[in-house]
Parts: sequence; C-alpha cells; structure tokens
Amino acid sequence: MRPSRGLPLGIRVALYTIVLGLFLSGAPRVSYAQAPSELPKSWNDSVARLADEVAAAMSPTVVKLDVENISSLDVSSAGAIEAAVRVQLQRHSFSFAAEDSAAAQSVARLQLSLSESAAEYVWVVQIINDQSDGAVAPVMIVAAPKADFADAAAGARTLSLEKRFVCKQAERFLDFALWKDATSGEVTLLVLGTNRLTTYKPAGSQWQLSRTSPIPQAAPPSRDPQGTINLAEGKITVKGFACVGDPDLGEGVRCSASKPIRSLGGPRIDIPGFPNSLGTDVKGSCRGDFVFLFTAEGDRTQSDSIRGRLTKGIPLPLVPSGNSLEFDGPVMALHPDPADGSARAVVHNLKTGEYEAYIVTATCGN
Amino acid sequence: MLRRLAVISALLGVAFAALPARSARRPRYGGTLRVEMGASLASLDPAGAGSSPEEVAALAQIGPLVFEHWGAVDTPVGAAGSGAFRVTSWEAGKRAVFAANEEFREGRPFVDSIEIVMGRAAHERLVDLELSKTDLTEIAPQDARRAAEQGVRVSASQPDELLALVFVEHDAPRTSGSIASGNAAGRAGGRASGRPLAPAKEEVMGQALSLAIDRVAIVNFILQKTGEPAGGLLPQWSSGTAFLFPAAAPSAADLEHAKELSKEIAAAGPLVLGYDSADPLEQSVAERIVVNAKEAGMSVRAQAIPGAGGGAEKSRSAALQAGHVDMELVRWRMTSPLPGEALMDFLSRIYAGPLAGIEAGALPETASPEDNYKQQRAVLSTYRVVPLVWLPQVYGLSARVRDWKAPVPGENWPLADVWLDTETPTGVQ
Repeated sequence: MRPSRGLPLGIRVALYTIVLGLFLSGAPRVSYAQAPSELPKSWNDSVARLADEVAAAMSPTVVKLDVENISSLDVSSAGAIEAAVRVQLQRHSFSFAAEDSAAAQSVARLQLSLSESAAEYVWVVQIINDQSDGAVAPVMIVAAPKADFADAAAGARTLSLEKRFVCKQAERFLDFALWKDATSGEVTLLVLGTNRLTTYKPAGSQWQLSRTSPIPQAAPPSRDPQGTINLAEGKITVKGFACVGDPDLGEGVRCSASKPIRSLGGPRIDIPGFPNSLGTDVKGSCRGDFVFLFTAEGDRTQSDSIRGRLTKGIPLPLVPSGNSLEFDGPVMALHPDPADGSARAVVHNLKTGEYEAYIVTATCGN
Repeated sequence: MLRRLAVISALLGVAFAALPARSARRPRYGGTLRVEMGASLASLDPAGAGSSPEEVAALAQIGPLVFEHWGAVDTPVGAAGSGAFRVTSWEAGKRAVFAANEEFREGRPFVDSIEIVMGRAAHERLVDLELSKTDLTEIAPQDARRAAEQGVRVSASQPDELLALVFVEHDAPRTSGSIASGNAAGRAGGRASGRPLAPAKEEVMGQALSLAIDRVAIVNFILQKTGEPAGGLLPQWSSGTAFLFPAAAPSAADLEHAKELSKEIAAAGPLVLGYDSADPLEQSVAERIVVNAKEAGMSVRAQAIPGAGGGAEKSRSAALQAGHVDMELVRWRMTSPLPGEALMDFLSRIYAGPLAGIEAGALPETASPEDNYKQQRAVLSTYRVVPLVWLPQVYGLSARVRDWKAPVPGENWPLADVWLDTETPTGVQ
C-alpha cells in the first residue's frame, strides 16, 4: 500500500484531471500510415496475405472498404487492422473513395469481416458486386493467431487496484514469486507447480527456464492442490509437505512431511460481512482502514474479478472500495505478499486454457 | 490505540484463517451426485451396450468414468476401475452406482459417488429436476426455455449439433467425379413408389427447399430460441466463416425464386421427408418444412421413420433402403471444436451418405479456414445437404451442483470435477 499524498482533495482532483486530459490528448490516434507497425508481426503477415489475394482477384481500382468486427477484438485492435489493410491495399495501387462522395456509390465494394474461429482469428474480404445476380461473392480468407493485443496497452490504466501480468503457462501452478538477489540485482521467477518448483531468469521480454526441483506429491494427489511460496521464511508448503531451499535452487529443495491438511468441507462458518469468496488481507492500511482483496462469488467455470474492501475492524462488514480488476477466468489462488503490500493471483484463463500469474497492487487514493 | 489494533488484527486473522474452507469457489468433497438419462445401457462393454444413437451417446459419457481413457473410436483404454470412479452396482438398463476412486491418478473426484438412473423419459427427468430428485440430466433443446422458466438451472453448450435435411442415397450407381452441379445429370436416383427423381431435379428441389425453409422461424418458435439458424456445415463459433453462408428468413425474392425452381420440376407426387419417429423435434421441424415447401409451390409429405435420424449410417436403415423416402432429417454432432476436424467427420458422413459415389475433394491435414470454406461450399452447391439449425447440448442442474461446465465436442461429462454444495438449499429455485 502507498499512503495518499497530503495535498487537499480539490487540488488533487484538479491535478488528476489535467494529467488525464494531457494523457488522452496525447494518445495516438489510429492512422493508416502508423498502423502496420502497431500490429504483431504475425498479424501484419496475415493482412499482407489478404491484400495480396484481393490484388490477385481484381485489378487495382478505386474501392470502398466496409468493415465489420464480429470477433472479440476490441475497437482499437479492429481499427488498427482496418488501417493496416488499407495501407496494404494502397501498396497494391488500390485507392479508396471518400465515404460520402458520389463516387463511393458506384465503385467496387470490399467487405472486410473480422471474425474468429475456435482456434484463431479469421479475416475475410468479400468482393461485393451488385450486378452479380445472386452469384456467390468472391471470398478471400486468412487466419491470424490469437494474441492478446489489448495487453500491450493495458499498462496505462490508472486504477486504485492494478494488476501486473507476470507469466503464463499451460500447466496449472499454485503460486509464484519474484525474488531479487540483493547483491547482483538479478530477478528470479519461482513457479510452484503441483509436483515441482521451477525457476526462470529474465531473457529479454521472456522468462527462460533455469532450474527445476521435484517436490514429492501426496498420494493420492489432490484434485484441488494448494501451495504457497513464502520468500520471507525461505520455504514453500504444499499439501502434506514443507520444503526449504535457496531461491535459485542451487542445491534443490529439501522437503519433509508435514501434518496433512485436507479440506473435507466441514460445516461452513458464516461470518457476517465476509464475502463468500477467495480473499486475502493486504499489508498496510488506507486512511486507517484494514485492506482486503476478494474475488467474485461464483464457481470455476466463470470469469472472475478482484475488488478491494476496507474495514475499520470489528464489527464488520467489509466495505467495497474502488475499481474491480476483471479476469477471463477464475482466480484459483490469492496469496498476500507481506514484503510490499501486494497480492499474488493465479488465474485460469478460460478463453486460452492457460494459467496466468498476476501481481495485484492496491493503491490508496481517491 | 495500539492495543485496539492488535485485538482487531487478531480477530481478523482468525476470521481469515477460516476463509479458504468456506469460500464458494473452493471445491468440497463428499456427497452423491444423482444423474438421470434417457438411454438404457445394458453394459459398459461397447460390444454389448446397445447400438441406438442414444445408447452410443450414453456409453460415451458413462464409459469414461470407469476407464483410464476413452478411445477415439468409443473403446475403453485401461482396466475397468482405472478411471475416476469404480462400479459398485449395476442393474442393466435401469440403475448404476459408481464410487470415487481414491487412488485415481488425477486425484480423487470430489463427489463420493454417482447414482445414474437410466431409461427416464424426457418429461420425467424434467419433473425430477424441478422436484430436486436429481442433480444432472440432459434436456431437449426445445424444452430448455420452459425448463428455465420453471426455475431449473440450465447449462447449454455452444451449438454443436447440426440438424440438416439430406437427400437419401439409393442403390443405383453414380458417376464418380467432381461434385459440381454439371455432373449431377449423370447420376441416377430412386424415389418413392419406384418413380425415379433425376438427380438434376433433386438438385433443383434442394435449392428450392433451401430458399423456402424459414430457419429463423424454426429457431424462434420450435426451438424457443435455443439454437441458431444454419447455413453452413460448421457453426460460427468454431469456423468463423458461417456468416458467409446466409441463413436468414426467406425474403419475398427468395420465395419467388423457389417457386420458379419448383415449376421446373414436373410434379410426380409429393416428395417424402423422413424423420425419426422417436424425436419430437424432428417431427416439428419436418411439419414446418412441409408448410414452407407448400408456400413455394412444392408438395412435400412428412413421414415418421423408426430409428432414422441417428446419422448418415443410421439413416440408411432398412426403412430408407426400401425406397419410400426421398429425403430425411439428420442430427450430426461435432466430434471436435476445431473446424478442420469437425468438418472432416461431417464430410465422411456426407460422402458415405447423400453424396455417396462422388469423389470428395482432399481436405488437408491442417486445413486453413479457406480450405474449410471451399469444402463446405462444394458440398452445399449440390443442394443434397441442406443445413437447417445448430442445436446446443442442454443440461439441467440442481442448485447444489458446482463446477459443471458443458463439455465441448469431443469432451466427456466432467463429473470428476463436479462438487456438491451441500449447504445450498435443494428446493426449487
């Protein structure tokens, strides 16, 4: 948690408004010339292929390009793709009739549909010919991999709760931690899986596998495994075992059996005012209130969110405060980080099937 | 002040320690999951389970509970009992009880046991759901809306089952080659009462019917909006290109075109449209098609066929072979969410059924969206396969069922992942 600065509320609101205004006015607008460089390379390749196919199907001429987005792409991504298509068509000597001009009524019409299949984005151009007498319009189709284009711009959010994506993988994991070597300053990512602890070192914008150390599994394995990494105490715990070792796994980890804990769903303790969902406390306070983070109520087949709650203490309830962070799947684990007042969230993204690690930070502001 | 904070902190710590165990998201172990199904399985052995489409589908859901894996060709892999559950009681065709396998390599299932009651009629299953006598059962898509209005929790998959009209292939040989319309004239075909309907006429009739059938009305009125009109062989969510095969309600121009086409065909008695006599949805759709055909000047008669509608193989049952039916309704479920794999399976049915004897164009192992589009276009241009609607798989759940996710094509019921919130009231919601 970061304490609020001591400026009066009116001045802070004014400053915030000015800063936000500057940010918005300075935000780049989609322009045809810039767009291709904004797209991932694989998308640019698909756009170029689509334009090539259009050029092979019809001679360069003045055209009207209509765009329909029937996919999950957001407006800005769709706009960038449209701009890229226009640029590529211009390279093939196509030109575009102005929207409201008389010429636009008579020129050839290209219908660009941004669609998606179960596996990838599907971009389609139909050459619409009003004189075709019912014949099927020529169709050009290309595929583009589903990349999280929106994530690239997600860092600019100004919220009281913020999430920072750390990593993702197909295999389920229980917890993760970022450890910084005090002497070298090198950062290590620890990922606690159901049966091993893995460390990664930064390599450019990616994480590169460094070491893996197996962790004994309870027999039979649990269908709902749980485990935590506690860097402060230098240990990890999984059901039935407690393990110690140095964070870079130079000598692996040493595990010993601990008292097995198995949640058998005993009688539920109803605590008035507590949400019926996953939650954790967060180090620090906000205007003297204790700070908690809670997920939404629902099961693991649904998307999820994390929201902050404040309480002055007993008696409850915890009062919702600030914005919600949305996730494309259930938060499987939520662990407090005692060192810096943040929390670690493991999310099962139902759209991609992957497990994602996020650091959630609560900032005390207005 | 410090003392107050310390006390509050301790109290909150105690409260938080209890959170993981009481979270609605955290699965809990225990309880018996009660399941009802329409099919009656004699055995878990694929050879002795039965051969009706319902029995095959039921086996594909129950079988994987007790075997390590369930092979792609509906065969168990591993010994019985190597799966998430073990059979503790089996009354052939009536009732089965399964106990959680404590040693299952993927972790013990959350529920202690599953009780499956077989052979329950659709209306009995719905009543049992409403009275909370069962936890999970399949619901016919056309009943989904009513069930939801009655307070039943309804879970629906993406629409993954194609209801289509196909022309019945009779025994006469066909000329092999391209499936473009120009070759249709070389084909022979049989029809009711031994009166041959030339394939070229079948094609014209198929086109006229495709134009005249109101798919939107079928979805809105018969299916009560549980489903989607189908113009192609793959749904939009899977292929991303279904919008290229329009399935809107027929316009006045469409109906006019259909009338013109039907005039080209010499009237030789009504076309006979077969439907599965045990399937009320097919019956309703067939009767609707008769009405739509009449509006376009065509004469079509709906005829119930015992055992029809289970797929291309089944559709070639004795009743159809007898030559009394010109076309039939079929329901084909996708075998994979991936468009290439699903289309490959559909094409194998189509080229063994309505397009038998015609050489199929090669579909690459890793077909692109364009490949899939062209294959669909080639099949649909023959008008021997007329897609009608996409149906979802619909399930009714009791209030206490948690973490149930309607399986995608090719997946089994995720019963090992389901848990029961035993503290949720089980009365009608």
